[in-house]
Amino acid sequence: MQRRHLLAATGAAAVLPALGLRAQGTTKATLRLKWLPQTQFAGFYLAKARGYYEAEGIDLTINPGGPNLLTENLVATGADTFGLSGGTDSVFAAREKNLPVVCVGVSHQQTPFFFVTRADGPIRSLQDFKGKTITTWFTGANYVLLGMLAKAGLRPGDFTMQPQQVSVTPFVDGQIDVVTATKYNEFYTLMTRMGRDKLRTFVAEDQGITFPRDTLIVSETTARQKPEMVKGFLRASIKGWREALRDQKAGVDAVMAVAPTLNRDHQEFMLVEAGKLMTAGAAAQQGLFWIDNGAIRSAHDFLREHEVIKTPVDLAAAYDGSFLNSIAVADRLA
Amino acid sequence: MNRGALRGALGVALLLILWEGLARGLALPSYTLPSVSEILLSAWTTRQALLTAAWFTLAEALAGYAIGCVVGIGIALLLSLLPPVRRGVMPVMMAINSVPVAAWSPLLLLWLGVGMASKIAAVALAVGFTVFLSALAGLDRVDRRAADLMRSFGAGPLSILWRLRLPTALPLIAAGMRVSTVRSLIVAIVTEMLGAYGGLGWIIYQAVVQIDFVAVWSAILVASALSLAFFGLVGVIERRVIFWRSS
Amino acid sequence: MTTRARFLPPWLMTGARFILGLALAAMLWEAAVLLLGIRPHILPRLSTILSAIAATPGAYWSGFLRTLAETLIGFAAGGIVGVLNGVLFFRAPALRDLLFPIFVVSQTIPVIAFGALVVLWFGNTMLAKAVIAFYLTFFPVTVNTLLGLQSVDPRHTALLRSFGASGRQQLLRLQLPMALPQIFVALRLAASLSLVGAIVGEWFGDTTGLGVLLLQAMYNENVVGLWAAILCAAVLGTGFYGLVALAERRILFWGAEQ
Repeated sequence: MQRRHLLAATGAAAVLPALGLRAQGTTKATLRLKWLPQTQFAGFYLAKARGYYEAEGIDLTINPGGPNLLTENLVATGADTFGLSGGTDSVFAAREKNLPVVCVGVSHQQTPFFFVTRADGPIRSLQDFKGKTITTWFTGANYVLLGMLAKAGLRPGDFTMQPQQVSVTPFVDGQIDVVTATKYNEFYTLMTRMGRDKLRTFVAEDQGITFPRDTLIVSETTARQKPEMVKGFLRASIKGWREALRDQKAGVDAVMAVAPTLNRDHQEFMLVEAGKLMTAGAAAQQGLFWIDNGAIRSAHDFLREHEVIKTPVDLAAAYDGSFLNSIAVADRLA
Repeated sequence: MNRGALRGALGVALLLILWEGLARGLALPSYTLPSVSEILLSAWTTRQALLTAAWFTLAEALAGYAIGCVVGIGIALLLSLLPPVRRGVMPVMMAINSVPVAAWSPLLLLWLGVGMASKIAAVALAVGFTVFLSALAGLDRVDRRAADLMRSFGAGPLSILWRLRLPTALPLIAAGMRVSTVRSLIVAIVTEMLGAYGGLGWIIYQAVVQIDFVAVWSAILVASALSLAFFGLVGVIERRVIFWRSS
Repeated sequence: MTTRARFLPPWLMTGARFILGLALAAMLWEAAVLLLGIRPHILPRLSTILSAIAATPGAYWSGFLRTLAETLIGFAAGGIVGVLNGVLFFRAPALRDLLFPIFVVSQTIPVIAFGALVVLWFGNTMLAKAVIAFYLTFFPVTVNTLLGLQSVDPRHTALLRSFGASGRQQLLRLQLPMALPQIFVALRLAASLSLVGAIVGEWFGDTTGLGVLLLQAMYNENVVGLWAAILCAAVLGTGFYGLVALAERRILFWGAEQ
């Protein structure tokens, strides 16, 4: 009995220094996602699986999000080091409430959601939204829709807008006329249940409105005290994303390894769509996670106009491209 | 009695003072812990919206509560009269009950939509099972010798149920109903958070997204006050009824 | 009544009846979906759900184990603290008056609203989930322990005291055993509540657990996956509840023997 203890003790003694050494070389950090594991985040999972964060000296844990978890909140308080948060809108809201977070990269360059109607239904243009029932997310998408409809000459009283959550079934069943769908999630469900040719989409960019979403954030403290770690994190993440977009099977595999019950077809579709959103607009020339100041300014002004943001946000303080700029453009291109 | 209430008030007051002191003393940001005064102020300034939401949630909770109590007690009575059916049904009942309401909520939303019906169903489910189980436990608690005695005097199962088992079960049924008051509001709020057109859960969900933590706390404050009032009311009714039955 | 029944121990009979009941329900389910033509989006066939579980058994198994562990820790902590609280409040009414209202208030708060706070305070550990399970369970046990202790006939206590029994002896020999039926009612409730706590706790950003599977299925509108997770939760809940009920029967039976 005692001998076995001794043996175990020496065994542990042999292992521990090795562990200690590794821990010394790397810094522990966490990445809080905006949602549960899916290929919307494939690049991060692939970078982790291939050890790119470790190579940058970061021992990274990826924490999924969930309902009623706000990434900005967790990063501001230091509970998480990095965050992939809601989007430009949630960064504005956080800065307005004095949460000390800084955006160091933008993933989705364009509005990742659109508004869907039945192709064979009465709605053919935005003007036709008049008198119709619409469901949308009251977390920013509602303002995008209001803005789009305003440009088409409609006023808030002209249509019924209801909150949308959980299910697109009411739309499939014909109880509502317009549904909001992310290009990678709800739209996939709609396509599989109704068929792509049965659906008509209305895109914000067509009305000159852009809402970049999926923002990478750190706390002001991290940005100030550990700039090298932030740069290293970006380098590793971009490397993971480039490979995930090029070798999509590997990207999907990395996510499916974490969440095996996911539907593989859906995840493959999602990665394709995520790739499109990440390489759209200025990112085509400037590379992944590019902070397109023009698009952010226009999203900001749009939200100010609708009084979602009560006071103007100092964009230069909220969005810091210096970490990204430390990486050569050639290494950022997808 | 009076002294107990005084002590209770003292305990709550101490907690509130500690909370206020902690939040102010450590200058905690509102996203970690807002001070009590901040929460109260916010609740007062948004009282209109909060009250509307509170009525919405209360309506769902009350409707679900009433349905749950009636159905729960009804099924318990029925099953206690029909032992063979009970043995067959119980496993299924237990299986349904063992799935947390939190897991049923998404399904109820898919089935019944985002409106009030899904919340009422969720509350009825949660309350129904709590009341059902405590009623069944209460009905089982009867003294077998007393039942045998009644039977030997020619009493039928219905009369034994009414005269003996129900009165014996009453305290447990009442306890189940009292516990359910609080659960009814929580379940309504949790289901609202997953999808709703209004209510306190909806306000909380919106406030979290808009990074308005003081609003979250003030909605919780209202929810808490509402639960306590409901709990207290049922408690008072319970005391009256049981007092009346036992005298 | 049959000869076979006499050889089978009663617990086996209960078990057999239980399984028979479930098998019957399963057949009803499958038949109802097939015959009534229920849309799979509302209620899929049981066989579809089972084959979904069989397709990725590892995910469901590890989720099951993880949730089980959280449930057990939360239940144990809630049960122990609940009984201790009950005894404490019984012995020190002043403390009860002071703390009880705060406990009651604490139970009126829907924890899910404070997801971020839970992560902030307890991190992303299993502890955070167990804490929520604990939070949901300790109060019912406290209340029922207190009620059970208070319902002990004071004349019995007086009798025991007249024989020179110490406070501790009174508690262990008379009051707690008499309160056990009440305590077990709460423990059975706590068994269900601790599972709720564990599952809701997993909604605050976790990678494994039945709660994660539920959430994932729900937001992907994967109704089959939703039912698969519900089924796993049902197995866990029923099993755990059954164990507590079995313990209750054993222990209360022993109590009656004494």
